[in-house]
Amino acid sequence: MININNQEILFNEIGRKLPKKLIAYSIGGTAMMLLGLKGETKDIDLVFDNEIDRSLFIKILEEMNFRKDERLVIENYGLKKNTPEILRLGSGDFMFDLFLKKIVTSFFSDGMKERARHTYEFGGNFVIKAADPHDILIMKSVTSRLKDLEDIIEIVKKTSINWEIIVLEAEEQVRLGNETAIMGLGEKLEKLANQKIINVPKDVHAKIWKLFSKQVKDKKGVK
Amino acid sequence: MIKGYNKYVGLVDSLHGFYTLETLADRLKINRTRAIYVIHRLRKLWYVKTSYGAGNRRLYSISLMNKQNRTSYLEEFNKNMPNPSLRIRDDENYFVYGRKLKVEEELIYALNKKRIRYVISCLFLFRKIEDWHLLYNMAKKENLSRQISALYDVARIFIRKVRRMPERFRRLTIPKKNDKYIFIVDGFSSDDFKEIERKWKVYIPLNRDDLEEYNLLKYDKHK
Repeated sequence: MININNQEILFNEIGRKLPKKLIAYSIGGTAMMLLGLKGETKDIDLVFDNEIDRSLFIKILEEMNFRKDERLVIENYGLKKNTPEILRLGSGDFMFDLFLKKIVTSFFSDGMKERARHTYEFGGNFVIKAADPHDILIMKSVTSRLKDLEDIIEIVKKTSINWEIIVLEAEEQVRLGNETAIMGLGEKLEKLANQKIINVPKDVHAKIWKLFSKQVKDKKGVK
Repeated sequence: MIKGYNKYVGLVDSLHGFYTLETLADRLKINRTRAIYVIHRLRKLWYVKTSYGAGNRRLYSISLMNKQNRTSYLEEFNKNMPNPSLRIRDDENYFVYGRKLKVEEELIYALNKKRIRYVISCLFLFRKIEDWHLLYNMAKKENLSRQISALYDVARIFIRKVRRMPERFRRLTIPKKNDKYIFIVDGFSSDDFKEIERKWKVYIPLNRDDLEEYNLLKYDKHK
């Protein structure tokens, strides 16, 4: 695990080593830490817009003794497409997950980029745009990890969620090709709402169900 | 490390938000004296920031983020404003870690926002510019040099004690014969500063009435 202060020291060091300004989007735990929603994280998830920037970032991490760990990629993500490059320090108990545009099944859409309104500059050259809590929630809803469920609860409890954005982005994710977005979101929200852990307006469940039915119908139509 | 450090991290995480002594005592179900002690311990760990609300009432911001060694353009910009009506609230922010921001950078940041409120407020920063060389280099990089000279002329009319712009800066930013007019905020031009607009070939998005606030300023307080 890495906490806010150690993350800040690490990012400042990376920023000082980078030869030019480099922009990455943070998703998951790192974004939640930057937004003050979480105290520590195991994975530092970053999304890059192009391979040149990601390669430069990997080069800097390797200079700092981080090493690629391909075994861990398979352990964590299986043989899925769009898996990240994972780098970790030999003894470290946290790792960098470096994605390129797509995050396994989710897309870092233009809407998500626009909503990433807070920018964080470390060491002069390392610029991170933190994903909006709405988008972190959507990305966390398509995984099957329990810790992501815990993060969803934190997001709903600590931020004021505009459910309209969530529903629209889930629809956009399906349009872009992430077929499990609506189903995953609906399942997670219903589960948490049924257990009375979070409050989700009834019309949101209805909208998600309607979208899911439409998706199934369209799929049948295609077949 | 202070004894019980981890205990306090959890507490800060769960408390995240703004409190008065009374609301904190209420939230933790403790008495006022105990609440003062909790604030004292959290302040020692850098988790508390104090501000003053209506009636000079103390407001405590409790957050894990307070411990981070960072500042933001908006925070620094607002610190430089002489009164609350010139301060800006924005849901978009740029945080900087590990270095201090300069007034020259704040001016460039404000102009890059391309919004009238930022333009009105940023005029006051001309009183604080010290490094004109740095300002010129940054302005040139961002294509804002002519805009800065034009706004400086407006600032000289409305704000007292604005330091004289170096002749070299003025000379370097004078428009050439073939230069076209440029907007500071797209689509907005002035009815009152036509002469300055002609001189710098820059449309100024302000009228005299927009700058009323500067006529009411008490300068002695903000040297």
